[in-house]
Amino acid sequence: MKADAVRGHLDGLLLAVLEPGPLHGYAIITAVQRRSAGALELRTGTVYPALNRLERTGLLRSSWDSAGERKRRRYELTDAGRRALAEERTAWQAFTAAIGSVLDPAPHPGHAG
Amino acid sequence: MSGAGRRTGPAGERPEEYADEYAAALASALRGPVRAKARLVAEIREGLADTVAAYADEGLPRDLAVRRAVREFGTVAEVAPACQRELTVAQVRHTARAVALAAPLPAVCWYLLLVMGHGSQLPLATRLVTLPLAGVAAAAALLATAALAATGPLARRLPTPRRLPRATAWAGTAAGVCLGVSALTLAASSPLSGNWPLVAPAGALAAALHTVVASSARACRDCARA
Repeated sequence: MKADAVRGHLDGLLLAVLEPGPLHGYAIITAVQRRSAGALELRTGTVYPALNRLERTGLLRSSWDSAGERKRRRYELTDAGRRALAEERTAWQAFTAAIGSVLDPAPHPGHAG
Repeated sequence: MSGAGRRTGPAGERPEEYADEYAAALASALRGPVRAKARLVAEIREGLADTVAAYADEGLPRDLAVRRAVREFGTVAEVAPACQRELTVAQVRHTARAVALAAPLPAVCWYLLLVMGHGSQLPLATRLVTLPLAGVAAAAALLATAALAATGPLARRLPTPRRLPRATAWAGTAAGVCLGVSALTLAASSPLSGNWPLVAPAGALAAALHTVVASSARACRDCARA
């Protein structure tokens, strides 16, 4: 799936991979790629400003994590982030159900005959 | 660097070397608050170094690992606009905080002088100039507070207005001018006033705040144009 198609769903993807626990930026990117089995093309450089935005709006919190001399920013969901993720899931399910019912070749019962 | 930071590609060159070049090019393409910019660029640098190292660990030659990593990451030209949008919002919040905190202070000083009964000891010209300026500064502070709300948690529900950076920059400029004129007026009238030990510090405070707010407004204008 092309990066442009993914862009509108980036926030939901980032929140979803952070649901199990805190991760730093590179681990977030690899988690998205692993969970989509490489099907989602992500312009990964743009993930970092998106993480900053989600933190600014209170959906994530972050802290510095040191590994030797190397410092990484670790992100985790806030309570507001968990609620936003639940809303994203509900909206996505409603969307895919609506599109699926149009694309599905099976005849709709209301239009039979 | 040590540990993960010392991972080397097959050619023996550190993956950080290219990441450093990329980070320097990105930093020079971006405008915004120093700390926010440094943090964002540092995160991206670490992410790119990790990506190059991961490809090198798979056995790719360093040049190919770098090319793959940049293709996946996006070039500086592709990544910079998203970074600049976020840094512009960070600058808007920086300027809005400065205006919201600093701009009401002349009005507060004016109110305290009145409450303490020293207002009438100021020359009439000072009162005529300072009072409307305090009003304009207070209006700028209100706009700045709205900008902080619009770019904070409210941004989850509402899109951030496109013209907000420019509006915040102008609010900052207006507040800076008000603070500067207030400082000059208070400094000039200090020897003439009946209570200079109160008026002179108020003028000095206004001058200091003018410097902070005016420089932040200038930075916000730069970001709005970027």
